[in-house]
Amino acid sequence: MRTKRTVVVAVVGVLLAAAPLGAHHAFSAEFDVKKPMKLQGTLTKWELINPHSWFHLDVKGPDGAVVPWLIEGGSPNQLIRLGLTKNSLAVGTELVIEGYLAKDGTNKGVGRNFTFTDGRRLFLGGSAPGSGESGIVVK
Amino acid sequence: MLLKTVMHREFYQMRDRFRRSTIIPVTVVAVLWLFVTAAAGQAPAYKAPRSADGKPNLNGIWQALNEAGWDIEGHAAAPGLVTALGAAAAVPPGLGIVEGGPIPYQPAAAAHKKENFEKRLTLDPEIKCYLPGVPRAMYMPYPFQIVQTQKFIMMAFTYARAVRTIYMDDHKEAPADSWMGWSNGHWEGETLVVDTTGFNDQTWFDRAGNFHSDALHVVERYTATSPDRLLYEATIEDPKVFTRPWKMSMPLYRRVEKGAQIMDFRCVEFVEDLIYGQLRKQPGK
Amino acid sequence: MTKVKARFQMNHRFLVSVSGLIVLIAALSLTTMPAAGQATSKAYTAPRTPDGQPDLQGVWTNTTYTPLERPKNVTKELYTREEALEIIKNAADVENDQTEPGTILDVHYDFTQFGLDRSQGGMALNLRTSLIVDPADGKIPPLTAEGQKRATERAEARKRMGGATDAVQNQPLSVRCIIMDRAGPPMLAGAYNNNYQIVQVPGYVMILVEMIHDVRIIPLDGRPHLSENVRQWMGSYVGHWEGQTLVVETTNFNGKNPFQGSSENMRLTERFTRVSDDTIRYQFTMDDPSTWTKPWSAEVPMKKAIGPLFEHACHEGNYGLYNTLAGARAEDKKAAEGAAKATSK
Repeated sequence: MRTKRTVVVAVVGVLLAAAPLGAHHAFSAEFDVKKPMKLQGTLTKWELINPHSWFHLDVKGPDGAVVPWLIEGGSPNQLIRLGLTKNSLAVGTELVIEGYLAKDGTNKGVGRNFTFTDGRRLFLGGSAPGSGESGIVVK
Repeated sequence: MLLKTVMHREFYQMRDRFRRSTIIPVTVVAVLWLFVTAAAGQAPAYKAPRSADGKPNLNGIWQALNEAGWDIEGHAAAPGLVTALGAAAAVPPGLGIVEGGPIPYQPAAAAHKKENFEKRLTLDPEIKCYLPGVPRAMYMPYPFQIVQTQKFIMMAFTYARAVRTIYMDDHKEAPADSWMGWSNGHWEGETLVVDTTGFNDQTWFDRAGNFHSDALHVVERYTATSPDRLLYEATIEDPKVFTRPWKMSMPLYRRVEKGAQIMDFRCVEFVEDLIYGQLRKQPGK
Repeated sequence: MTKVKARFQMNHRFLVSVSGLIVLIAALSLTTMPAAGQATSKAYTAPRTPDGQPDLQGVWTNTTYTPLERPKNVTKELYTREEALEIIKNAADVENDQTEPGTILDVHYDFTQFGLDRSQGGMALNLRTSLIVDPADGKIPPLTAEGQKRATERAEARKRMGGATDAVQNQPLSVRCIIMDRAGPPMLAGAYNNNYQIVQVPGYVMILVEMIHDVRIIPLDGRPHLSENVRQWMGSYVGHWEGQTLVVETTNFNGKNPFQGSSENMRLTERFTRVSDDTIRYQFTMDDPSTWTKPWSAEVPMKKAIGPLFEHACHEGNYGLYNTLAGARAEDKKAAEGAAKATSK
């Protein structure tokens, strides 16, 4: 459910004293808020690494040429605790990624939302319209 | 006086007869026993004190005492990479820890190793403070600590604060690749056997460019040979790089000084200019 | 507590979900940590390790929504259970909701997608309005004159260094992958991966921090601290047991990661007490007379968490830092070219 919570975030910011504002800072320095992007590509590799994982995709341009892209995602550690392995997401999977482009002009971006081509969200949490699902606390 | 002499003579005769009839045979038997047992490869084995769960207790601070960090194969002394550091950075000679001849590289891999060696100043991951992997962590010239419980055996290394977790039960496959690999361990009598897979292809075996792929499989054996010494053996297997498995072995020595501990060798800040220096904002730009 | 095993298969919906509030309550232990001044009706005795230490072993998390200092509009020490649950629910809802496109906060992967939001990692229910328990107002005591002076000098030195993206050394220590606040010490939670593994053997308690695989192997033999001239990022630490509580004293900080503005002479005392099967009470006292007018203390519950810890090879995988600096230089170049065009007209 996409709701706007900018005001509430400011208030809750007080609660999140150990908040990741530093992390947000780094990301908005790395990627350009003025350059949103959406691309579809074939997964060639998923690096399950820290501090952030990286999705390698082959993206076919309008001219038919295939261009490799690199998309930044989250640390895989909690997903691994929930049973995910390097084999969970197969090479060759078609992914649709919305996000923002890198500031250095290379074919890189941050993935705000990773989905399959049918709209189902990767991994956890449901923001697919009408799904009515939310993330679960596994304890 | 004659009686004393006679009695002395008889005493010595009796003693000699005793020696001939008893001690000599016993000695002969003992010597034969040693030959037999040595021939069977069973010198009286050292048994380490036990931990609470009845297993050999390998807890403590240990360190390798050899030149394998420079080059795991036998090698002569050689000049270092930095002229200004002179002898302080020269390569010391070493006997090597690899058993049974040169490392059996596949032909293309052998060429790759040669290239690694020539470009080691830019390619050696140790220079960039990257995690050393296994087995390289085991013979870096700094102490490491074994923290051994029934379920987990942890190893904490000085260099780059590297850590290994060895799972002693609940063995799983590596969920993803890592620098230090995923280790499953079990006991075989006096020996801790550690089976590690799930390596990425980023680490080297030493500063000489010996390398592996992400198919690396390492099986290590740790056996206490005295109160302050372990025998470390490792079998290296990598079908993408070597023609066959090969083995290395070396002693590990206990750091016995009072207050021995793993100190903080956090090296990232020492390599930041090396890695990111060219991205520094220049004045006036 | 129910445990749902997730199956990450390409063609399956990954997790079945339940309404947020129910899940949240299930996630939080129904046994809240005893607050200060409230004696427990039945004192808990931790099981023992084979060598007789109270057993602290396992995987723990100190994830929390509770701030270090008491919020401005709050005067009491404890929320009621209902108030605390409401706050947590609201905070979890905020984490679950999506950010607004085109805003700075939106330029980030979605924490919930990777299970990294706080509500999905599990946490202890903490009724406290602040982590600080002493002074009674829940706030860090005032700075001494020397502390004030040092803060000013540090701010000036920081300004002289230039912009955050001018050089790698201008970035936070966490972004540089040198040390995280999860490690401290004192150990405090950040946004995610607030996980710890404790292993005990005769003579040592080992605490492995997931992030940047930091580790303290705390000796229990009463040895002296390292000599005064040897300063370390996590200091020099020595521990001993006082009944059920592990007490760890740390000195010899190097001053390069000053916790809340402290000096390198800060003396930290941490206390670990297992208060139930799934909770460790972690308390710490900061003593730094050259920074604060008096010592101050905080208390953070650590909750049993699912393992394993996975290798957090931070520096090795730090492409993002490289990209950030490269992006800043690219923008500098563009700005310089734009300025050159303007002046050449």
